[in-house]
Amino acid sequence: MRALIIDDEPPARRELRRLLADFPWVELVGECGNIVAAAQKIEELTPALLFLDIQMPGGSGFDLLTRLEHLPQVIFTTAHDEHAVRAFEVNALDYLLKPIDPARLAASLARVKKDPVAPARTADAPLQQLFLRDGSQCWFVPLHEVRLLSSEGNYVRLSWGARRPLLGRALATLEQRLDPQKFFRANRRQVINLEFIENVEMGINGRLHVQLRDGPEVEISRRQARLFRSQMSI
Amino acid sequence: MSYWICQLTGWGIFTLLKIIAAIEVDGLPWLSTTFYILLIHAAGLGLTHALRGYMRRHGWSEVRTGKLVWRGLAASFILAVPLAAGTSLTPIEMLQAPGLPAMFPANLVPLLAFALNLVNWAFVFVIWLVIYFTAIGIRQHQAAALRQSELARALQQAELRLLKSQLNPHFLFNALNTVRSLIAEDPPKAQRAVTRLANTLRYTLGAGQHELVSFERELEMVGDFLELEKLRFEERLAVVREVAADTGTAQIPAMLLQTVVENAIKHGIAELPAGGTLRIHADLRDDILELQVENPRPLEAPRPTSAGTGLRNAEERLRLLFDSRASLELDLSQPERATTRIRIPQYS
Repeated sequence: MRALIIDDEPPARRELRRLLADFPWVELVGECGNIVAAAQKIEELTPALLFLDIQMPGGSGFDLLTRLEHLPQVIFTTAHDEHAVRAFEVNALDYLLKPIDPARLAASLARVKKDPVAPARTADAPLQQLFLRDGSQCWFVPLHEVRLLSSEGNYVRLSWGARRPLLGRALATLEQRLDPQKFFRANRRQVINLEFIENVEMGINGRLHVQLRDGPEVEISRRQARLFRSQMSI
Repeated sequence: MSYWICQLTGWGIFTLLKIIAAIEVDGLPWLSTTFYILLIHAAGLGLTHALRGYMRRHGWSEVRTGKLVWRGLAASFILAVPLAAGTSLTPIEMLQAPGLPAMFPANLVPLLAFALNLVNWAFVFVIWLVIYFTAIGIRQHQAAALRQSELARALQQAELRLLKSQLNPHFLFNALNTVRSLIAEDPPKAQRAVTRLANTLRYTLGAGQHELVSFERELEMVGDFLELEKLRFEERLAVVREVAADTGTAQIPAMLLQTVVENAIKHGIAELPAGGTLRIHADLRDDILELQVENPRPLEAPRPTSAGTGLRNAEERLRLLFDSRASLELDLSQPERATTRIRIPQYS
């Protein structure tokens, strides 16, 4: 498994490197000292796993994640920010406290190894999950749990469980990275998750009304309705 | 204790004046006059003492003034009754009704004498009560003022304790992580780092005992602290010291320079991918210790509001210790540079 270390302190990077020597299946492809360099390296090397420090020059580890298109798996390494990591409310997120306990590292790596949601390795594969930051809270959002994406200006509002977090990207660019087998553009403003469709009703002028499970009713515009019918073969 | 002094002095002077007036002015026989006056005034003293006991049991000092006036008047007249009766019954004529005109019918004279004596004695008790409550008021006021000042001092000490900077746990755990790394790479360096960390910790833990330390001592600790930070940041952190030799014995609040230096690294050098140079300048001029800490900082500094807490606490601490004679100022007027200036008065 290809891994990247991101930490601004050289001794901390060397220490982690030494600790990882006991896990030959973890292949270290590089290390970076700040998030700008890290963002580049991640695009370039597409690692499957990040060891990510939180406090770094030029932006935190959280800032890095919000910039990434494809999210590798992440293990945070931090000296004293466990409260920051605990801000991840919903997703259990892995973090290691520095100095790192080798036994805890082994446990974290074992979890990563058997995690079924292996992230996509290639740049053009559809997105699996998003990293979101809303005020002091952060989430890893698995896209298959999102039932609706609504455009709000240059941002996208997600309907995810009871939450409505805002994502700092435009719907048009995000849509290109979504899995077309699972997501469908209903109208100019909304993209729906097909797995959440409860029932579909005919509307006037060839429009369709889709009732989403736990969610609002969404109207499919006339143009998109034709596409929807052929795709769903109804 | 002071009650008895007041009580005896007051009654003593009053009695003496009365005796002198009776003998010298009215020409009364001195032995019997003195005897009766002493007897009656002793009773007066006893009555006022009893009144004091009664008032204390019934908490008169807590009663509001308007109510107290009526109660005081009533008590005065009640206490005046036995004394007026006693005075009226004394065989010495001049004591019975001082200055009573002779134009009243003879059978009315005893009654009038009693009434006059009653008013006289009631007046004496009113005076006594006024003095008593004035004394009580002064004492209560003093006690309140004392409590107030004690409270203020306790509050100030609590504030100082709170403001005193603690070693940042982030620094501590990162330093430990560095040491762990050095143990494998360079054991002698790891040993030196452990010693420095021990010195830093010992100083921080001891800082609670003394408000002020010598600048030399503080600088030594900051030196250890900076060496440890250099191990973490490696070539990203450089330090330049310009310290005048005569500053060593100057007094400085413990951990003050440390707080400023830590702040300069945290919000300045640590935020820069290439790091930078930290400058510490110290000078003693006109009995004022002048410190200056200079560091580069990122151009766009979206500083969270909590970032300045350390410095704000340090500033507040200086204010509590030196009022307006000391100052701490963070100068961000230059782009990409931050300068902290501190002035601490010295009295040798």
